[in-house]
Amino acid sequence: MQRRKFLSLGATAVAAASVLPVSLSATDFRATAPKAWDAPSSKEAIEALFGSSEMIDGQIEIKAPKLAENGGAVPIGIKSKLDLAVVALFQDANPRSAVVVMELPEGSVADLMTKIKMRKTANVTVVAKGRDGKLYSAVQKVEVSIGGCGG
Amino acid sequence: MKIKAKEKKGLVEVKILLDSPMIGKEEAETRKAEVDFLTHVTAKINGKVVWEASTGPFLSKNPYFMFNVQGKKGDELVIETIDNKGNTDSDKDKVK
Repeated sequence: MQRRKFLSLGATAVAAASVLPVSLSATDFRATAPKAWDAPSSKEAIEALFGSSEMIDGQIEIKAPKLAENGGAVPIGIKSKLDLAVVALFQDANPRSAVVVMELPEGSVADLMTKIKMRKTANVTVVAKGRDGKLYSAVQKVEVSIGGCGG
Repeated sequence: MKIKAKEKKGLVEVKILLDSPMIGKEEAETRKAEVDFLTHVTAKINGKVVWEASTGPFLSKNPYFMFNVQGKKGDELVIETIDNKGNTDSDKDKVK
């Protein structure tokens, strides 16, 4: 167990050093939490990224279509009145769950939108870390009529 | 990439359309293409980081983002991206 931990730490450090110039980012979640990006389910990805799955429900609003016609670009809006530091988006429609992890500096407003691929009907989960250190989440099911993952 | 930034009541609404096919491992196999996706996007206003995202291949092709940050008309907004091969791109625009 010790050895395995040590090895994975080493791999992370090497990946961080070789892939990203430090000047470009404050926290590169692809380097700090590589397991989160390989996890097949939202639950595993959330635990790998935030180290916990204890979340408070109901203070984040997801704006997504109930029925998406084009699975290649499903608009997902995220809105909250909380002071959020990290906002992460997961789905269970693709081989791996994590889609994007956004970082908001102090004094910013949690009002975001992006477009994601979904190859089938599934739940979309937003998990956000507030500046109070607590995790907040919201889930919405999106029905997809045409898959959008190119296969 | 395309950038639009407009001040509304003391907040700047930023809309960006990035250039990337966002091809992940599975898609690369079925389409016989190379894995090619953005891994990080950073937004700066007057040199200060105001928003950033670690991204994966399940964002739509040519990823779109909208976000609201503090700023005002005339500020300089810079968007920087990096992909899985380490290629970087950047573009800038004035807040309207």
